[in-house]
Amino acid sequence: MSNATLDGKSISSEDAYEKAAEILQAANFPLVAGLGADVAGAQAAILLAERLRGAFDHLASRDSLADLEVVRSAGIFVTTPNEARVRADLVLLVGPGLTGYWPAIFDRLALDKETVHGGKTARRVIWVGPKRGEAKIDGVEVETIPATEAELPGVLAALRARVGGRPVALPAAAAKKLDAAAEALKSARFGVAVWSAAGLDSLMVEMLQGMITELNATTRFTGVPIGGRGNATGVLQTSAWMTGFPPRTGFGRGYPEHDTWRFEASRLVESGEADAALWISAYSGEAPPWEDVDIPLITLGPPGSAPKHGLFIAVGKPGENYDAVEFAQETSSMVLRRASAPAELPTVAEAIAAISAKFSEDLPC
Amino acid sequence: MLTRLYGGHVVDPVNGVDGVGDLYFEDGRIVAPPEGRSADVEHDVSGHIVMAGAIDIHSHIAGGGVNTARLLLPEAHRAHRPRPANTPLSTAGWSTFETGRLYAQMGYTTVIEPAVSPHHALHAHLELADIPIIDKGFLTVLGNEDFLLSAFRDGATQDSVVDYIGATLEATRAIGVKCVNAGGVDAFKQNIRHFSLDDVVPEYGLSSREIFQTLQRAVNATKIRHPLHLHMNNLGLPGNVETALATIDSSQGLPLHLAHVQFYAYGTEGKNGFSSAAARFAEKINANKNVTVDVGQVMFADIVTISSDVMKQFNSLPGGRPKKGVIFDGDSNGLGVVPYSYRVSDFFNAVQWAAGLELFLLCDDPMQVFFTTDHPNGAPFTTYPEVFALLMSADKRAQYCSRLPADVLELTNLPALKREYSFYEIATMTRAAPRKLYGFEDRGQLGAGSVADIAVYKPQPDKAAMFRSAAYVFKDGNLVVRDGKVSHYTKGRTLRVRPEYDRKINSRLDKYYDGLYGLPRSLFEVQDAALPNADAFAEVPCRS
Ligand SMILES: [Zn+2]
Repeated sequence: MSNATLDGKSISSEDAYEKAAEILQAANFPLVAGLGADVAGAQAAILLAERLRGAFDHLASRDSLADLEVVRSAGIFVTTPNEARVRADLVLLVGPGLTGYWPAIFDRLALDKETVHGGKTARRVIWVGPKRGEAKIDGVEVETIPATEAELPGVLAALRARVGGRPVALPAAAAKKLDAAAEALKSARFGVAVWSAAGLDSLMVEMLQGMITELNATTRFTGVPIGGRGNATGVLQTSAWMTGFPPRTGFGRGYPEHDTWRFEASRLVESGEADAALWISAYSGEAPPWEDVDIPLITLGPPGSAPKHGLFIAVGKPGENYDAVEFAQETSSMVLRRASAPAELPTVAEAIAAISAKFSEDLPC
Repeated sequence: MLTRLYGGHVVDPVNGVDGVGDLYFEDGRIVAPPEGRSADVEHDVSGHIVMAGAIDIHSHIAGGGVNTARLLLPEAHRAHRPRPANTPLSTAGWSTFETGRLYAQMGYTTVIEPAVSPHHALHAHLELADIPIIDKGFLTVLGNEDFLLSAFRDGATQDSVVDYIGATLEATRAIGVKCVNAGGVDAFKQNIRHFSLDDVVPEYGLSSREIFQTLQRAVNATKIRHPLHLHMNNLGLPGNVETALATIDSSQGLPLHLAHVQFYAYGTEGKNGFSSAAARFAEKINANKNVTVDVGQVMFADIVTISSDVMKQFNSLPGGRPKKGVIFDGDSNGLGVVPYSYRVSDFFNAVQWAAGLELFLLCDDPMQVFFTTDHPNGAPFTTYPEVFALLMSADKRAQYCSRLPADVLELTNLPALKREYSFYEIATMTRAAPRKLYGFEDRGQLGAGSVADIAVYKPQPDKAAMFRSAAYVFKDGNLVVRDGKVSHYTKGRTLRVRPEYDRKINSRLDKYYDGLYGLPRSLFEVQDAALPNADAFAEVPCRS
C-alpha cells in the first residue's frame, strides 16, 4: 500500500518520489523547512538544501534562536537536568506553561526529593509567573511570584535589580516579596533557573541570564533551558557542525549564509523568494505556518497528516517507528531512541534519499 | 594496485630512515619493495620530502564544546567561495567537513579530540563520523565524577577502578582517558574558585594530587597504551610553573602526559608579575623521562578557548575578547567556551608565545614533546605550518621577536636560543612520538605493514608554505590531496581501545544510574544503531 498522496489522492511511492524530485529540481530557490526530524533526517535535509542551493529552517527556530541570541550577544550559564536533579538546592521556575513544554519536568528534577550532592537538603522552589493553578507540585511547597505574561518582563527586571541591590519602583508589599526571593537566590548553594524560550522572548532570557551572571559573583547559579519542539535542539546542533550555523541558513550563493530574517521560512514563502518547499514534520505532522500561498509543496509527515493540497509522503515517527538519534531534554544530550512501535515506513533520511535518487544527472551531488 | 613513490627524500624516524629512497604500497598498506614486479602507478617525487601522515595528539575538533563555540561565534566562520562541484558542504566555514579537508591538505591523517565528557560521547561520535578523510578518536574525561571520587574516598580496590575505566571506555568508544583539573570541576560546583594540587574536594576529602595519582595508576593498570592525559591545576595563572613542577614530582615514575604545558610555564618576575618559566620547566621535563608533554603553542590570532576546566573558564570570562562565553556545569563534568584574541602588542600574550617556543627548543627529546596549539585554545590548527617554520628557523623567530614589546624579551630566553628543528625532528615529533604515545602499531611510520598514510612535501624557502600545502597526501593508499588541494574525499576510521575488564562492574553501574538519575545507563552508551558508520571503528591494541 502506498503512503503517498497528491492533492489528497493516493499515488504510488515511486511516482511520489519522482514528482518530488521534479518539483525541487525545477525550483530556483527551494526551501527545506519544518525539519522536525531526527539527526540523520536533518543531515539529509541540510545536504539536500545545499545541493539544491536552497535554504533551510526549523519549525521551532524562533525558540532556539531566542536562547541563541543571548548566547551570541552575552553568553549563557547552563547545566543539565540531571545535575539540577542531584545538586540544585534552589529551583527558580520562570514563566507560564513549563509543564506543557516539558511534561516530565518535575519528575526529572525530583523537586520533591532532597539534593544528593553538595549537601543533602530539601529544595526551595520559586515560580515566577506561573499560569493560574499551575504551581502545584506534589510534595513541594512552591513559592510563587505572580505575573501575567505582560507583567513578566517587568517582574524579572525587578528581581534582577534586587539581586544586584539596585532600587525598584514597586509598592512596599511587592518589593518585600521580591527582596525575599532575591535573598533566597543569593543564598542558594547551587541554584538553577528553568525556562522555556517558547514562552519567553530573547530580552527576558537575557535578563534572566544577566541575573545568573550576577549571582555567580558570590555563589553558584545556572540554568536549564527547555528546548523547542520537533528536535529543535538536535537539529540546531547538527546544523552547527555541518554548516557552522544554526537553521535559517541559505546556500543561494554557493556557500552557507546565515540570516535569521532573510531565511525565515514563512518570509521566504510569503515574499515569493522561495518557489517550492519541502516541509518535514515527522514527529507531529504540524502544518506549515505560512498562509494562502500556492507554491509547489512536498510534505513529509506521519501517516494521516497529509494536507489537502500538494504532494505528501508518509514517513515514520522518529524514535517511535524507527530507531533515531535526537536531543533528549531529560539528559541534555544526543541519545538513541529505540523504536517503540516499529512500522514499515521510510525514515526521513530514506525518503530524502529516495527523492534525491530521482534527480536528473546534471545536478551536482 | 601497486604504487611506487620514487626519488623522494624519505624521513621516517621509527625506522631510522633519512635519505633518498623508494616507497611502495598496495591495498592500503606499505609493502617492502617487491621483487620481479613493477608498479601499476608511479609518482616521481624526487626533490620532495616523504613522511608518514602526521598525527595530532590533542586538538579540539568535535563534540559539544566545539559546536558550542560555532554557535557562540557565528562571525568566526564565514565562507567566501562558492563550492566546487561534487564536494558537499566544502565551503562551510568551521564545519566538520572543513576540519577534515584542512587537516588533510597539511598532510595530517590522524587527529585525536582530547576532551569528551562520557555523557556526550554520542554527540562527539556523530561529529567525528562527519569529518572526511582523516582517522580520529577521542579521550573520555574522568576524574570529577561522583562515582569515581566516591570510590577513591571509600578506598575501592584498583581492580574495581580498572573495571570502571574499562566499562567507560567501552560505553564511550574512546581511545584513552583525560583528567581535567582533578577534583576542581566538582569543587567549582561547590563554589570553590581556585583549586591547586593539594586543595581538597569538599564531600570527598580528596586532594587533586591524590585523585590524579590514583587515576594515573589505574589507567596504567588497564593496559591501554595511552597514559593518563592530565590537564593540571592553575592553568594560565602567573607562577603556575610551581604547580607543574610539583605535578611532575608526583608522577610516580609512571607514564603521564601533561597537556598544553605552555599554559603552565609562567613565573612571577618582572613588573607585571608574569614571566616565562619555560627554562625551569623544560629542565624538569628533560630529567623525567616518564613524562610526555604537548606544548599548546600560542599564535597571534583571534581564537576561542574550549575547556572542560570550567573553573578556569569562568575565571576567564571578564577577560574574554569579545566579552561573552558559555559556562556549562555538566553531569559530573564541565565545559567553558570563551573567545579570546592573542595580540602581539599584549605583554602577557607575547610572553605566552615566547614561552611555548622556549619549551619546544629547550626540551631535548622530540619523542617527549608534542606539537600542538591545543587547537583552538592557543591557535587554530591552520597555523601549524607557521609554527613549524618558527621551529625550523632562528631568523624567523628573530623577525617575530622584533615585533614584541621590548620588556617581553627581557623575561624570556627565546632570543638566545638558536636551535633549529630538522625535518627528522619534525617527523619525530609529529609521527614517531604520537605513534608511541597512543600505542599505534599501524601508523606513524613508513615500514612495511603500516597503513599507507603518506604526506609528500615540496621543500621551499618558505617552510610554512611547504607544510601548508602538501604536494601529495595518500590516505590508506588513496591519493586524497594533490598540490595542496583535496582531490578525493574518503571516509576515515574512528580509533578506540577495548581493554579487558570484569563485566560485573556493569550491574553496579546500572544500579548507580538508576539510583542517582532514575535513568537507564544505556541511554548514555554509544550504540551501533545510533551511528551512520558503525563499521568505521578500528581498535588500537592494549599492552599484552
Ligand atoms: Zn585541550
